[in-house]
Amino acid sequence: MTDDSVTTRPPRGDTADQPPAGDPAGSGSGPAPRRRGVTERQRPLWLLAPGGVLMTLVILIPLVLAFYISLIDLDQYTLRRWLQAPFIGGQNFVEAFQSGLLHSIWISVSFAVLSTVVTIPLGVAAAIVTQNAYRGRAWVRATFLIPYVLPSFVVATVWRTMLQPDGIVNAWLAKLGVTGGLWLSGPRSYWTLILVEIWAAWPFIYLMALAALQGVDGEVHEASAIDGASWWPKLTHVILPYLRGPVLLACLLATLNHINNFTLPFVLFGAPAPDDVNVMPMLVYVTSFQSLRFGLSAAMAIVSLLLIAIPLFAYLRALRLDVHEDGGRK
Amino acid sequence: MTAATMRGRRTAAGEAHRLLPRPLLVIVTVALCALVLVPILYILLASLNTDVGVAEGQFWPSTFSGTSYTRIWTTADLSSGILNSLLVCGFVAIASALLGTITAYVLVRFMFVGRLTILRGLVGLQSVPDTLMLLPVFVLFSSAGNYLGIAVIGTRWGLFVAYLTFALPFSTWVMVTYLRGLPGELEEAARMDGATTLIILSRIIIPLSLPAIVVSGIFAFLLGWNDVLFASVLTRPETHTAAVALQVFGTTQEGGALPVYSQLMAAALICAVPVVLLYMLFQRYLVGGLTAGGVK
Repeated sequence: MTDDSVTTRPPRGDTADQPPAGDPAGSGSGPAPRRRGVTERQRPLWLLAPGGVLMTLVILIPLVLAFYISLIDLDQYTLRRWLQAPFIGGQNFVEAFQSGLLHSIWISVSFAVLSTVVTIPLGVAAAIVTQNAYRGRAWVRATFLIPYVLPSFVVATVWRTMLQPDGIVNAWLAKLGVTGGLWLSGPRSYWTLILVEIWAAWPFIYLMALAALQGVDGEVHEASAIDGASWWPKLTHVILPYLRGPVLLACLLATLNHINNFTLPFVLFGAPAPDDVNVMPMLVYVTSFQSLRFGLSAAMAIVSLLLIAIPLFAYLRALRLDVHEDGGRK
Repeated sequence: MTAATMRGRRTAAGEAHRLLPRPLLVIVTVALCALVLVPILYILLASLNTDVGVAEGQFWPSTFSGTSYTRIWTTADLSSGILNSLLVCGFVAIASALLGTITAYVLVRFMFVGRLTILRGLVGLQSVPDTLMLLPVFVLFSSAGNYLGIAVIGTRWGLFVAYLTFALPFSTWVMVTYLRGLPGELEEAARMDGATTLIILSRIIIPLSLPAIVVSGIFAFLLGWNDVLFASVLTRPETHTAAVALQVFGTTQEGGALPVYSQLMAAALICAVPVVLLYMLFQRYLVGGLTAGGVK
């Protein structure tokens, strides 16, 4: 991808006789070279320096280093002199796949997809019921945001308490004659993680769906009212198609966020996590900061980055369209 | 929130725009509110209960008391945690909002080679697993102790630098989405009058985008406040953040003879207060930013 794709858009606020400010090297055949010289000189790229230097220091260098660490045998013994740690090539990756990485990938992906799938109807329904104005709607909207606004570690702490063997959830289930059992260990912990994630994450879909609903032109509503469409056909055939794009985008982002969620499993179950909720971030965390196998865990983290790259590229492609739209709309 | 969505909201009101029949609307609204409010109500009630009452499985306290809110400060080291969080995240917010604004201004207004790559990178970085960023940061910080004789791990400023890894790209992206919608005529006029870039930034761009700058700062603050991963690795007990203090308190109290769930719920609510306050004060801006930035 080159910059050419954006240089075609009209530069904002430029007068007509100026060449596009977006001409990267000033090599275009635009008129008025004197003018262009002014634009060139006034491109204050040096302003990028503070942010750019800092981002290079705290992001780019660590990222490159992470790739390097994944290729060396770095553990608690070699950490003190990590520059001299032995280079072992792809061995960390081989060992990662032999020691439960595939299991964690499966847990992470299935957990993320299931969570996203369940949050869609919840979020869209919430957006639809708060679309029409009524008294008290502001309160309902604020209520819907609560799970999303609460910090993850607070949500996890609270659910961990409620789901204790002698906690309130089991006390209520006992009143209904159901034996609650263990929520935070064993095979059921997987479903606990999904349920809590759903509780915490559905408002995100709600927010994105609501923004899309508000973008539906009023004439669409009026047209379908004149046609006498009843609410169900109107909803499914007229309104929901407007939501498809934004909600799909939201799903991509939500899935990424689910896969990357470390706080929820960590605070809910503690480290090391039960095998059934040993999601990728937990596996990487335990391998590095409890087993102190830094090289191995870096390899695992890089595999999870590759895993994330799939939905991420889909998202970035979708977002590119937004860049163009915004530029054109001005 | 852009002008377009505001317009959309106004015209969308009215009878012709009704999406659901009233009974269904009421049922769905009540169900969703219950889904949210029942756990919230339980936390509130449990925090106002006694530790014994909560352990017995009461939903409605037999006696209401605020003692959990007074005792929690001696049971857990929550006050130092909150102070550490406020300090570190406050500086993260200021640094990333200011640097983000300047960087975003150049990225939005001027074309240059690599611009799109940087923009993509800003979005992509928000989805890079935190664990992947933490590892090299940890190795670098610990080797600073070994190679240079500077202790970084366990210090507040070490955590500050670590938080910049995700706060800086996020704040910058929030500012990019905002500045993109800002018309350029005013600064072009100023430029014609001979104003330098620094004057344009300080007299035009920063005053005009102040709400967005505040929002990007708040988001940076919240990213730090909500973090458990970095803080649990890069702090020691004296520099624990509120999140880690709560998490440690939560796991250690379970080993005790009588769990102090009431105090734990009070502590959890106290940790949520700054976040909820920020959202209440800046709700409109923050919600707009959430959908624009797209990441929590």
